[in-house]
Amino acid sequence: MVTKFSRRQFTGGILAGTTALAMPSLAFGARPRVAVIGGGAGGATAAKYIAKDSNGAIDVTLIEASKRYYTCFYSNLYLGGFRSYASIGHNYYGLSVNRGVNVVHEWATSVDTAAKVVNLGHGGQVSYDRLVLSPGISLKYDSLPGYSPEMHSRMPHAWTSGTQVQLLRSKVLNMKKGGTFVMVPPPNPYRCPPGPYERVSMIAHLLKERNPTAKIIILDPKPKFSKQGLFMAGWEKHYPGMIDWIDPDTHGGIKSINASSMEIETDLDTFKADAASVVPAQQAGSIAMAAGVTDGDWCPINPANMTAKADPNIYVLGDASVASSMPKSGFSANSQAKVAANHIRGELSGSRVYEARYANTCWSLVATDDGIKVGANYSAGPEKIDVVSKFVSQGDESADVRKATYQESIGWYEGITTDMFS
Amino acid sequence: MRTFWTFFFFATIFCSSHAKTDNLLDGADLGYGEYLSGECVTCHSKDGVDKGIPAINGLDAEVFASIMHAYKIGDMDHPVMMMVASRLDEEQIASLAVYFAAMPDAN
Repeated sequence: MVTKFSRRQFTGGILAGTTALAMPSLAFGARPRVAVIGGGAGGATAAKYIAKDSNGAIDVTLIEASKRYYTCFYSNLYLGGFRSYASIGHNYYGLSVNRGVNVVHEWATSVDTAAKVVNLGHGGQVSYDRLVLSPGISLKYDSLPGYSPEMHSRMPHAWTSGTQVQLLRSKVLNMKKGGTFVMVPPPNPYRCPPGPYERVSMIAHLLKERNPTAKIIILDPKPKFSKQGLFMAGWEKHYPGMIDWIDPDTHGGIKSINASSMEIETDLDTFKADAASVVPAQQAGSIAMAAGVTDGDWCPINPANMTAKADPNIYVLGDASVASSMPKSGFSANSQAKVAANHIRGELSGSRVYEARYANTCWSLVATDDGIKVGANYSAGPEKIDVVSKFVSQGDESADVRKATYQESIGWYEGITTDMFS
Repeated sequence: MRTFWTFFFFATIFCSSHAKTDNLLDGADLGYGEYLSGECVTCHSKDGVDKGIPAINGLDAEVFASIMHAYKIGDMDHPVMMMVASRLDEEQIASLAVYFAAMPDAN
């Protein structure tokens, strides 16, 4: 016997369920308060899901300095000319209007964890019962000899999207004919493991069209990198002779960076760049340090719910957290946000709390219609987030499969940004 | 797109001896399906629009469950979907199926 379900019955079920959950906390008068710091893949998703699923029973305030958020994911595709800059920008109207989230465009400067208050840049305060920290990364400028924040304009890191990426694109477009582009990727762990190599691919794509005798040199602090075999085979196929990846055993380490002369000195040689992207080592966003939930550079979390090990009232999502084998990616942050949102609702309104389930997939574009991907799903172990199963694109895939993978990544971008912001 | 999925549904029925269409939706729990759907909507747009990844809102629950079982046993072979389906048990698939069947599609 097949049970028949009508759409009407189930829509009714959803409404009845959420209303019933909303009642107990409303009955007590003051709504519980959640503050979320950072409006990226972790923070925007958490704010939305807490507001949406609590159906107004929980007061959610999202603190994000930018009124328009440019995603880091897909910023490489803007560099390569596959996306417009406008298409990677998003606003918070959907969260505010559709979900009832209070969106505050301010910097969060400190957190008083005893009083449960976030202090804002212009003197205001936001009180919370639970705090979600999703601040992303900050850059460790002193990790590279001679590098400093003032060098941003000469050798853009472009690792936090926005105007830095626009600047980098203009520098690549204005390189002299046959010039040299130097990429310095960051050491592990860092935001977006395949990012530097997708960036190189996209710059090679631009140069192949406009400046085909130009060269790209990668001075890598790491002996290996994400999807290395797939990237290197793609470079050989699409950009033969253009890209030279130099590992740390060969170059011996970066000894100094001189932004005014555009020179990068290693044991092997001094490389003179016509344009460069230098990405320093990274650590959790500074507000995580200020909140006292870091241990070293990052924030240890409890795998079952993403609470900070240092404070059970604070959840840390995305790049800033130590999520073990989960890479620092927008997909990971979005996945972690849903686990945290479910747990926060349970804590504050008594709704059902389900087991933590995490997932990630990272798509990268190597050349026109040549997409590759790597992904895994994860569960919460007692001490860390553990891999359940994983996959990676194969080296012998057909052009049709690669094209389908790229098309899929476009669908993913639409999916995740709708999930975050609407 | 509906035609596409319907084709896969029947292809799955004909090709697989594992399809147990009479109890595919046993144990469905809508609230659990809503929670589990978080993993799906990172890619399958919540607006129910296909922009490179198939829309799944409003899909018939039995078709949805059949497709997920086909991925789980390898009768359909997309690496991401095989990974997603591999850790879903029958009740979780049923819960997702009734949740997405209740979601409005883009039309």
